[in-house]
Amino acid sequence: MKTVSRLFFTTGFIGIIAAVLLVTLSKNDLRTSFVENRALEEIPVFSRDNFLGGEYFEGWEHWFTDHAAGRDTLLKIHTWLELNLLRKPVVNDVVVQDDILLGFNQYGRWDISYLEEKSEQTAKNLRDFSDYVESLGGRFYYVGLPEQYSYFNNLYPDYMENREWILEPMHTSFAQAMKKYGVNYINMSEVYDSMNRPREFYSPTDHHYSFYGALAAYKTLMETINADSGLNLKILTDEDMEIKELPNPYLGSRNRKLYGLRYMGEHAAYAVLREPIPYSRWENGVQTDAPVFKLPDNSNKVINYGIYMGNDYAETIIRTNREDLPDALVFGDSFTNAMETLLYTAFNEMRSIDMRYYTEKSIREYIAEYRPDIVICVRDDTAFFTETGNGNLK
Amino acid sequence: MVFSSFVFLFVFLPVLFIVYFAVPARYREARNYVLLIFSLVFYAYGGIAFLPLMIISIVINYLFGLLVSPGLITRVRKLSLIISVVLNLGLLGYFKYAGFFIENLNSIGFSIPVPDIVLPIGISFFTFQGMSYVIDVYRGDAAPERNILHVALYISLFPQLVAGPIVRYTTVADEIHERKENIGDFSKGAIRFCFGLAKKMILANNLGTLADTVFGSSVSDLTVSLSWLGAVAYMGQIYFDFSAYSDMAIGLGHMFGFNFLENFDYPYISKSITEFWRRWHISLSTWFRDYVYIPLGGNRCSKKRQVINILVVWALTGFWHGAAWNFVFWGLYYAVILLGEKFIWKRFAENGPSLLRRIYVLTMVIVGWVFFRSDTMLYCIGMLRAMSGGAVFSDGRTEYCLRMYGWVLLISIVAAMPVKNWLSNFPDKHKSNRLLSFVQNWAPGCLALVLLAFSYMELLSSTFNPFIYFRF
Repeated sequence: MKTVSRLFFTTGFIGIIAAVLLVTLSKNDLRTSFVENRALEEIPVFSRDNFLGGEYFEGWEHWFTDHAAGRDTLLKIHTWLELNLLRKPVVNDVVVQDDILLGFNQYGRWDISYLEEKSEQTAKNLRDFSDYVESLGGRFYYVGLPEQYSYFNNLYPDYMENREWILEPMHTSFAQAMKKYGVNYINMSEVYDSMNRPREFYSPTDHHYSFYGALAAYKTLMETINADSGLNLKILTDEDMEIKELPNPYLGSRNRKLYGLRYMGEHAAYAVLREPIPYSRWENGVQTDAPVFKLPDNSNKVINYGIYMGNDYAETIIRTNREDLPDALVFGDSFTNAMETLLYTAFNEMRSIDMRYYTEKSIREYIAEYRPDIVICVRDDTAFFTETGNGNLK
Repeated sequence: MVFSSFVFLFVFLPVLFIVYFAVPARYREARNYVLLIFSLVFYAYGGIAFLPLMIISIVINYLFGLLVSPGLITRVRKLSLIISVVLNLGLLGYFKYAGFFIENLNSIGFSIPVPDIVLPIGISFFTFQGMSYVIDVYRGDAAPERNILHVALYISLFPQLVAGPIVRYTTVADEIHERKENIGDFSKGAIRFCFGLAKKMILANNLGTLADTVFGSSVSDLTVSLSWLGAVAYMGQIYFDFSAYSDMAIGLGHMFGFNFLENFDYPYISKSITEFWRRWHISLSTWFRDYVYIPLGGNRCSKKRQVINILVVWALTGFWHGAAWNFVFWGLYYAVILLGEKFIWKRFAENGPSLLRRIYVLTMVIVGWVFFRSDTMLYCIGMLRAMSGGAVFSDGRTEYCLRMYGWVLLISIVAAMPVKNWLSNFPDKHKSNRLLSFVQNWAPGCLALVLLAFSYMELLSSTFNPFIYFRF
């Protein structure tokens, strides 16, 4: 029996390691990881320097582990074990609670005296940018939104880092600086606070707000534009649209990191206009029939934040051909997407650019060329001070 | 290349098995060449620029192994021995300690540019291994090897190349020339390898994450509970990491017909520090005993001389671990305790209450690991101050760490005990019980396969690298 058991084990051992290699080599056509939201490693390129230094072989290690046999399945099992067997409070960088998933913040504090200076500098840059927009006949508005972890700051377990110690002073100094420099700042943190931060305004499983949160931001923005510019733009109300919820399971970004193992019964909402406004749409210069809400074709299909405008595009143009209305330019990260599904209704033409992907012109060159009447920047509070991508206003 | 990497487990090993075992067993030299080539590839994988260093070490030790052979003129043998030691230590000194020495000289007024030298992996191990070969030949304990490829195989053999154990030539000389691979040894080795891999991937890595979290905090942020948690985690990490590599090395050796000596023997059950160092990194402590302590006179000299010998050996032991003062301090720390056990509290160390002695050992060892792990002496002092109550008792981080890593701490406590020995002995006392016999035959292998699967899963999970903002 000893011989049989030895033979069994040896066969199993060699079989496993051989099978992993063969399956890995035979199945390597994936280029991206949906769950990890990143490109997978490419086969390393040979060079004399990286061969001699060892980086070439290191590259192969990264390639193999990115394309390893059964990777996604095993990672999903690993995630399941951490969630359900070990019941870890943080799994794959996600704070896991019964009814909400939040981003994990590393412990540790640092000197925050830079916040005032940084706020001043950012507000000054925005003022300068606003002046530029106005010199070309437009008006500029900056919408500042809390990111999900910031919005649900008070829902972190007591023993976890919720960054309250930096969020509050940051918001305060930023708002003060924006006021000092006279930038049209729509402070949605304050607005949401005044509404007692309704739970349904933000996704429990995604780092974005929900459609309800976007709707509140849209209304506040439009009211501000109207009050400031006197344009009297149409603001959609309950009479103009019906809010519906999709029955489909909603895969939020945080749940995606957990391989979809924590759905929490969330459903994405969208608006159906009682009197639809016809429009033409271009994505990255190509005309398309894509609707502003990319609805699934059946109720079982898993959906995500991408139902709002379809995705992040470098440039989207929506023309409603109502030339009596002003033109708008919206720029920012993905938080713009849900708002754009409503904003276009108020304008003749709405252009939306994401400067993380749009590289043809700078934002100023773009404005100089298209001369929008209203320029709107939408940023979440993790990006207030960034100076690259949509924070590059030069 | 490390054992716990995809390339080693699923590319290097299967290819080696195929090539090695495709050669008929009667062609012993051919199999040795296969092992040698794969060992050199293993080493070159980390950077082919380091391969010449390995080859130089092999050539030095081969040549001087011949020059110190018994039968040659004594003066030649002695001079050759000295030169080989100087050359070996010179290589080690340059690559590992040059920067340290120059920095220290600069701190006392010199202004020498600090060289940017990359430390070749495993140099501390293969240098000591090469030196032990030459010294053993000089002493007549080992026969000089005339085949340079055998010396090359001995020095570069990949299982023990990167992290030990430090193998004496006498341990493997016969096996290099003549060994019998068989399925019994192969399966025994593979089981040992799988258990070692699981120790590394599941226990050591998780404890390491916990230890890094704590030791990465600034001193002023440490709390009493967190500092203890971090110290205990590091205590577990270093043991499981190091002993895991030894397990894997010994297991790999078995697979190819080699029998390396044990390197760890459940050190945390020791009842004295003396006993601890007979159970911890056995190959290193015996190396220093045989090649430094005993030549200096060992304990067959005056008490004063003994004390000096112990201090020298332990300072060097500490220094071997790393080019920094905290390692030297760590070595001297143990020297003081060992001297205390030898001359002051000998009765307690040998006959005191068992529980008290174990607590004493664990406390001394934990404090020692704080010296070892801390980046600077200041941090070490701060950490020890926090551990002794000089900080806030606790904050949210302790609860977070316990919730995240409590499971691995519990498993580690069990895994640090000689459970395997207890379980192995149990069926022997009940030989007639068929069920127990069945379990004894099948359980280790089945468990090893399960652990291999879990280790693979942990390997992949360590590469999980999500981005939240890529597409949104």
